[in-house]
Formats: sequence, structure tokens, C-alpha cells
Amino acid sequence: VAATWKLEFPYRRSVGSVIGAFLTGLRERRVVGGRTAGGRVLVPPFEYDPDTGESVGETVEVASSGVVVHAAWVTEPLRTHPIDHPFAWALVKLDGADTPLLHALDCGSPDRAQPGARVHIRWRAETTGHLSDIECFEPSQAFESIEAS
Amino acid sequence: VTDPVQFMSHHTAVEYAIPEPSRLSIHFAERLASGRIIGHRCPQCAKVYMPPRGYCPLCVVETTGADEVEVADRGTITTFSVITPLQYQGQQETEDYVQATLLLEGADTTIMVMRMDGVAIADVRTGMRVRAVWAPEGERGEAVGSLARAMGFGDAVASWEPTGEPDLTRERIAEHIL
Repeated sequence: VAATWKLEFPYRRSVGSVIGAFLTGLRERRVVGGRTAGGRVLVPPFEYDPDTGESVGETVEVASSGVVVHAAWVTEPLRTHPIDHPFAWALVKLDGADTPLLHALDCGSPDRAQPGARVHIRWRAETTGHLSDIECFEPSQAFESIEAS
Repeated sequence: VTDPVQFMSHHTAVEYAIPEPSRLSIHFAERLASGRIIGHRCPQCAKVYMPPRGYCPLCVVETTGADEVEVADRGTITTFSVITPLQYQGQQETEDYVQATLLLEGADTTIMVMRMDGVAIADVRTGMRVRAVWAPEGERGEAVGSLARAMGFGDAVASWEPTGEPDLTRERIAEHIL
């Protein structure tokens, strides 16, 4: 008889004030970044400016839609992936942000996961203050055509 | 909810697929459940492997049921460790105890992580003669399958206790330490 054995680590991590502000925003379906002293908006926010090492204390809200910077198509999703059919891992620069956010993009085919494509966040029905409150990104044109019809 | 988010759950898991045990390990487990310890004697060098492997790695020859021999449920401590249990959630041990490596009579290989009982820790020593304290019949590996997968003695043998016989000298066990 074949058997499986599962080893689990149920960690609870302290997130700190900067990531905490980002996660608190997600729970309210808002995206909160951090503004560096030089004026760059980091999304997700870091605790320190990667260029200078200075603290990033100021928070700033950015849009929940943006532009694909890079994407990698996943033909055969793994069991642990957030989407169970082919999708893209995408770096998305949200409007108002200077750095891209990595998340899944559910867009049906790789030709819709090209750099420059407009996408927006599909929020999870129930948010908890976790990165998975963003279910994934989806193409904005499809969204708009559904709105129009 | 208006409190800021301070924690996040980070659930990590690895899931292993445990392969089906071989017919030989199932056979070993079934014998163990009936209170017998078997090995395979290499037809070429006569070394007895317990548990049986189905081959002799030194002679590189196959061993089969024809090479099966019985090994005693008594033997000698070749080395041991004193375990001091740390108290963490789920820990069931509270006192120091000894896990020994044993050379059973009739075998050339040792069996590791055998729990000693009925002896003060300070009295445990290399060369000490011990015998098996079998679990009651019917409680020796609730499933032979789990016993077979472990390829050890599982819970068939509850512990090992001193026989009181004179120790074996280090020379007698020197070739069989690990």
C-alpha cells in the first residue's frame, strides 16, 4: 500500500509596520506602497530604500490597475500554484508605482501576457490581510468589455 | 476590523510519497509480527544480513528465501546514546533514556535505535548482553505495512533489557560496531 507523509511548518510571522501597512491596505482592497526620500514609490513597500538604505516611512496609495512589465507563461500549473489552469507569472507596475509587483495573471493565453498589457487586480471575495487577498491580475480590456455589455 | 495587520500565517509543507514496501520487507515484517527475526546468509561469504536485503553488497550476489536464517532475539550492545528529551509541544518523553545499537546472535549486521529498559543509564555499556521485550502479540505493528516500510523493528519489540550474562569483550564485537 503506497502512503504519503506530510511534514508541515505552520509559521506565524511578524510583518512589521511597513509590510503591515501594505497588508492592512490589501484587507481593504487598497494597494499601499512606500515613498522613499528621493520620491520613488515602492510597491510592495520595503522597509529600506534599496538605493540609499534610508528608512521608508511614508505610505502612499497606488491604483489597483497597471501595466505588465514582464511575464512568464506557465503551461502546466503545479499543485501549489494559485491558478489551476495555464496562467502567467507577471511583474505588474501599478499606476502610481515605480517598482513592479509579482503576481499571477489569469489571461487565457500567452499573447495577452505581453509587456505593456493593461491589467487590474481581481480581489478575493474575502480578504484577510495577506498577499493572497489579490487573487490574481486579469486583463483590463476583458473587464471593460464586460462592463460595456 | 480596523486593527493594523501585524502577523501573517506562513504555512509550509512538504509531502512525501512513501514507496510501496518490497516483498522481502513485508515478509520480514510478517515474521517479526509473529515474534521471529530473520536474516539472509550470503551463499558466498556466509555473512548474515538482518534485516535481509536480498543481496550481499560485499560479494555482489543475490540472496533469496533459500538463504533465510533465523536470528536470536538477544544480543550485545555495540554502541549507545543517552537521549535527553527537550520539552517541546508534542514531546512525549520526559526522562533521559538510552538508544542502543545491537548485534544480535546469528547476525553480522547491527540494528540501530533500539530502546533500553530495565537498567540504570549509568550501567549501560558496550558489550552488555540484552534480550528483546516483545510487544504483546497482536500489538506488533498494528499494520504489517507500516512495519515493513520502517525496515526496522517498529513497535514489535517494546524495548531491550539486560540478560545478566557476562559481557562480550570488545574484540568479539569489534568487526560489527556499525
